[in-house]
Amino acid sequence: MGSSEERVVAVILVGGPTKGTRFRPLSLNIPKPLFPLAGQPMVHHPISACKRIPNLAQIYLVGFYEEREFALYVSSISNELKVPVRYLKEDKPHGSAGGLYNFRDRIMEDSPSHIFLLNCDICCSFPLPEMLDAHKRHGGMGTVLVIKVSAESANQFGELVADPTTNELLHYTEKPETFVSDLINCGVYVFTPDIFGAIQNVSTQRKDRANLRRVSSFEALQSATKALPSDFVRLDQDILSPLAGKKQLYTYETLDFWEQIKTPGMSLKCSALYLSQFRYTSPNLLASGDGTKSANIIGDVYIHPSAKVHPTAKIGPNVSISANARIGPGVRLISCIILDDVEIKENAVVMHAIVGWKSSVGKWSRVQGEGDYNVKTGITILGEAVTVEDEVVVVNCIVLPNKTLNISVHEEIIL
Amino acid sequence: MKALILVGGFGTRLRPLTLSVPKPLVDFANKPMILHQIEALKAIGVTEVVLAINYQPEVMLNFLKEFETKLGIKITCSQETEPLGTAGPLALARDKLIDESGEPFFVLNSDVISEYPLKEMIAFHKAHGGEASIMVTKVDEPSKYGVVVTEEETGKVEKFVEKPKIFVGNKINAGIYLLNPSVLDRIQLRPTSIEKEVFPKIAAEKKLFAMVLPGFWMDIGQPRDYITGLRLYLDSLRKKSPANLAAGSHIVGNVIVHETAKIGEGCLIGPDVAIGPGCVVESGVRLSRCTVMRGVRIKKHACISSSIIGWHSTVGQWARVENMTILGEDVHVCDEIYSNGGVVLPHKEIKSSILKPEIVM
Repeated sequence: MGSSEERVVAVILVGGPTKGTRFRPLSLNIPKPLFPLAGQPMVHHPISACKRIPNLAQIYLVGFYEEREFALYVSSISNELKVPVRYLKEDKPHGSAGGLYNFRDRIMEDSPSHIFLLNCDICCSFPLPEMLDAHKRHGGMGTVLVIKVSAESANQFGELVADPTTNELLHYTEKPETFVSDLINCGVYVFTPDIFGAIQNVSTQRKDRANLRRVSSFEALQSATKALPSDFVRLDQDILSPLAGKKQLYTYETLDFWEQIKTPGMSLKCSALYLSQFRYTSPNLLASGDGTKSANIIGDVYIHPSAKVHPTAKIGPNVSISANARIGPGVRLISCIILDDVEIKENAVVMHAIVGWKSSVGKWSRVQGEGDYNVKTGITILGEAVTVEDEVVVVNCIVLPNKTLNISVHEEIIL
Repeated sequence: MKALILVGGFGTRLRPLTLSVPKPLVDFANKPMILHQIEALKAIGVTEVVLAINYQPEVMLNFLKEFETKLGIKITCSQETEPLGTAGPLALARDKLIDESGEPFFVLNSDVISEYPLKEMIAFHKAHGGEASIMVTKVDEPSKYGVVVTEEETGKVEKFVEKPKIFVGNKINAGIYLLNPSVLDRIQLRPTSIEKEVFPKIAAEKKLFAMVLPGFWMDIGQPRDYITGLRLYLDSLRKKSPANLAAGSHIVGNVIVHETAKIGEGCLIGPDVAIGPGCVVESGVRLSRCTVMRGVRIKKHACISSSIIGWHSTVGQWARVENMTILGEDVHVCDEIYSNGGVVLPHKEIKSSILKPEIVM
């Protein structure tokens, strides 16, 4: 049992507007961490997972978006969860470890015994209390959440080797060319405050090396621009790699789902994963109906209370409908995200698609993707305020904001 | 008076529909194609129709027996055992076409749909006193066809130019002829072409005259032209007998709906749609520029455009069928499926979307 003196702080890295470009056109209107999955902002899922950590004192969101972009969300979520959530803005990107280190004084204000560090753009069940227990059993400075993936896909991630009995992290390498291990880094960590010392060491070493170069070598002048600034510290290459095999880092393997949310296609897949998780965690958020008084609901569906869905519509599986959306008579929605203020008119069909804020889909129109989440136009995406006129078909397309489509389009990116 | 209809072969260009019935029996505007011609012939007093056919004559005759009595017209077949071109079948049917009356006879091409101004053609034929009359129609791209060059005032044919590279005229052979029995003396029983071998000789003797076909003309031997042909046919119906067209707030443009077909609430039908006997169109369905043949069911909220739905097929809820999709007989498109130009052979179930035009065997 943890003592009542023990306190935990969680830090969620949310990135900034120059990151996450692969998430366009959806990130043109909203910071990617606030894009809704299963009807809740992406960052809401790790935040609500943090709520399950015993003795949680504070949640910090660290990123380099403007403060005002997160102000509204941070205040409402603090009220909702009864845990203080604060946004800390970096003046520039410091890397995953550098971002943490940059705010070390703020983070240490609560004198936490443990610090969680989570990336925002991953989708998993966030087994944080279980990780913390494992970490206390292991001892050491930190525990990394890991998952087994197929050998073919492992090289897109940080591959690592762990001791099968002690779970100690023995070796770590980022996106290797050859196969090292099918165990990968999930981007979720728990540390003791000793982590700040480790980051400081990297930073100091780098500063020394830079100084040495400056005085001793002409060659260094040319590569100096390429060298990383001393306050830019990556957790994976700069901390995990060198500390592997030194009895300081351990692993905790999740047997649940895990995905990275880099592209709009993946957001649709992750929305489905979170919706299915709601079955266990928040069944009250899932819609139901048999087509008599309210729409016919198939599988896992989220409908915002302010959205209006006609009883003759058929919705699901994997559909989330955001605030003030209007879904007309005889509409069919399958595997899609319908954002705020969207109107879907009579008899229209939307499947494997994301329909952006304030967009409108006309009568008997069809907005469809093939449903392959891994290819660029495998789902159809309508940006903000796109109008699809009556009877028009849009298949496997990405449509940037404020466009009107009056003829059918296939396999196109429409600027 | 007698008439010969050139029916020809397998009708491969209109597959998969012609995998179920011979081409002349494929429905067009809720009626087998050949009935449009037989009815027009009957209307101007033709008493006997000979079908020049080289494929499945039994099927044709069995079917047409019913119409023989109904229309009071004699229908017989003249079966080629080898393809005889466009003139050979006339020689083969010689005995059926010639009688003591000495009257001219009509020759029609079964692929062609028009207003069949046959009465006017008889008057034209009598007026010029030549041996043969042909209908010509003006087209935008004459280079694709055989062009008929005529004397502007009299209509006397000067020459035929097959697929001209430079412009010689815009009138092409419309496939409707009125011939004196003496023309048969010019045709040998062998594979031969009427346009290349017979007509040029008659023209050389200044006995061939061409009449410009009033109204529309379309060769509906392939799906795209079939759909265009329906539009032209319905336009003409609007002018001639608008009472045959459907009316109501759920109808846009020219639509024919068979009296036994049922249409649900909240549908929008048209323009240029034909719905055949016994069809069921459920609520919230959108149909435009399409033919829905006998016994088809279109389920709720489906949307169909520029397509042909073959006999007894079904289209599922929220399905989308468009862009020259041709469903053969008894094809079932499952709920929510999208077909973009799918050409589907008979008796198939379509369970996954067809995103690009392709043939489903």
